[in-house]
Amino acid sequence: MAQAGEIELVRVTKRFDQTVAIDQISLSIPHGSYCCLLGPSGCGKTTILRMIAGHETPTEGDVRIGGESMAGLSPVRRGTAMMFQSYALFPHLSVLDNVAFNLKMRGVAKGERHQRAREVLAQVRLDRFADRMPAQLSGGQQQRVALSRALITNPRVLLLDEPLSALDEFLRLQMRGELRRLQRELGITFVHVTHTQLEAIAVADMVVVMEQGRIEQAAPAYDIYNTPTTAYVARFMGGQNVLNGAVDMRAGARASLVAENGDRFTVPLHGRSPEPGERVEFAVRRDRVELEKSPGRGAPLTDAIIGTVHAIEYQGTYVKVTLDVPGREHFVAHVADGTFFANPMDLGDPVLARWSPDDVYQLATPR
Amino acid sequence: MSRGRTGRRPWTFYLLAAFFTLFVLFLYGPMSAIFILSFQGPTGGLTFPMSGASLHWFTALISQQRTGDFVGSFTRSILLAILVLTLTVVISIMAGLAFRRRFRGDAVLFYMAIASLIIPGLLLGLGVGLLFRVAGVPPAWYSSALGAQLTWTLPFGLLIMFAVFSRFDRAWEEAARDLGAGTWQTFRHVVLPILLPGVIGVALFGFTLSYDEFPRTVIPIGSRNTLPLEIWAMTTNVTSPALYALGTLTTAVSFVAIALALGSIALIQRRRARRAATGASSE
Repeated sequence: MAQAGEIELVRVTKRFDQTVAIDQISLSIPHGSYCCLLGPSGCGKTTILRMIAGHETPTEGDVRIGGESMAGLSPVRRGTAMMFQSYALFPHLSVLDNVAFNLKMRGVAKGERHQRAREVLAQVRLDRFADRMPAQLSGGQQQRVALSRALITNPRVLLLDEPLSALDEFLRLQMRGELRRLQRELGITFVHVTHTQLEAIAVADMVVVMEQGRIEQAAPAYDIYNTPTTAYVARFMGGQNVLNGAVDMRAGARASLVAENGDRFTVPLHGRSPEPGERVEFAVRRDRVELEKSPGRGAPLTDAIIGTVHAIEYQGTYVKVTLDVPGREHFVAHVADGTFFANPMDLGDPVLARWSPDDVYQLATPR
Repeated sequence: MSRGRTGRRPWTFYLLAAFFTLFVLFLYGPMSAIFILSFQGPTGGLTFPMSGASLHWFTALISQQRTGDFVGSFTRSILLAILVLTLTVVISIMAGLAFRRRFRGDAVLFYMAIASLIIPGLLLGLGVGLLFRVAGVPPAWYSSALGAQLTWTLPFGLLIMFAVFSRFDRAWEEAARDLGAGTWQTFRHVVLPILLPGVIGVALFGFTLSYDEFPRTVIPIGSRNTLPLEIWAMTTNVTSPALYALGTLTTAVSFVAIALALGSIALIQRRRARRAATGASSE
């Protein structure tokens, strides 16, 4: 039995004229979960949200909520409510009338709908502003009005299109905590579209990383960050370095790779069995890397690389050190601030970066 | 910046100020002369000096003896203007909604509609009159003249609606639909109220453009004149200040129309502001 707020996309494709925005996506979002659709702009995440809402019709495939096909149903019949990126508050209506709009459309008498709207506004501590016009509110207040207006419909699914993008940093952090708490309280399904990695893993139970109309990986936030399955996700999430090498030999649960310059890397197999000679990509967590000053290149290395310091950025609790590595993309290490400042390095210094094979994660073979 | 702080104004300021003074004199000087002369005493003539002051020429207008069909032409003009206003508003809103989406031939249609702004009005009126004669339909103010005037007001209405719609966020409509509003409810409760100030502008244009339209109307009008045509006829055969009284009255009607439009926009804003003012009196 599918639960009320379970969302299922079945081989959904969306084409606009000749462009394919969504390419045969299948996805299942459990009832009562907080799901983030994450990806760069133009990856199709908002299109998915709008198809769930019924503001866009899939070219092929089916959108199901609570186990039933939603084809041809209006947003209200679907039991979804959407919070728009621009909030889309009606500029000619007071805050109270904005929130009461759905009740008015359903023919609820004025006294009753205003009372219910006031109750909802009180929950987000906006009852004092009930008689203001939207333009007289701050961005954060407008956002809470938009949220109240959507929630008064008692949806089983709340759809949030970049809900925090118009807020300043401080409010954004505060509001994302509030959204998470609200979702827990209501127990309904939230689908939240964002292009910010840290926002997604901070709020979501489930993160769906998208790229060019396809799903790269859909997994719990912890897995997305720690064990990305593809190089794209590893790079996009930003917590990992992506390296590669050709399989030299397999020994037990590990393989030994050799790079073009002769360096060797040890990679866990995760049940895969790559053939000798096959090129394998793997990820190394940035915060599990140790740096030491190095006189320069000598014999080939094992589970380490050598580079020169390209950038040093102090992040408060750690220092982000970016290395220039000949023939590779930049390699980044997050060094604990105490460790770094005990033995600081400077731009241009040659540095050896080493890690333990336990902190290495093998990535899927590139398509 | 520094010049502004020392209070010295650039020479262009004086040039523009002089030009504007001339412009205002040119615009309101003759109008005030006509306005004053329309209150000429019963024995007075078409020029200054005034011989007393009276409402004699206003009553002479309405008594419809030597002065032509003032009441009839005025009624026709007002009815025609209201007809033109209504059609212009309805069609402009619908066209504005339609043109938000691209469709085949949309550019051609748009330029064809706008082209009627640059076609000489007299020529257009001539064509409309000819068309009706060929079709064997007698031209009249409510048919051929109505059509001819719409070729003038519709492009204006269309352009205004385009400007209004360019600031209209489609997310408002989607939000309304998301909140359970049907197509008509979305239009009635969201689209129309947000567009309303622009719609009033279109209505004002439709009314005033029709009310004093001359070149497009003069030929396809048929046998019964609208007010501007009647005034034109009167200038050739009426030699009394009744003509001025007529001018004063028609100007007053135009001002009433403008005041109604601006007043209703102000009223909408006041109502919104009053709803917005939390407890504090806005008066």
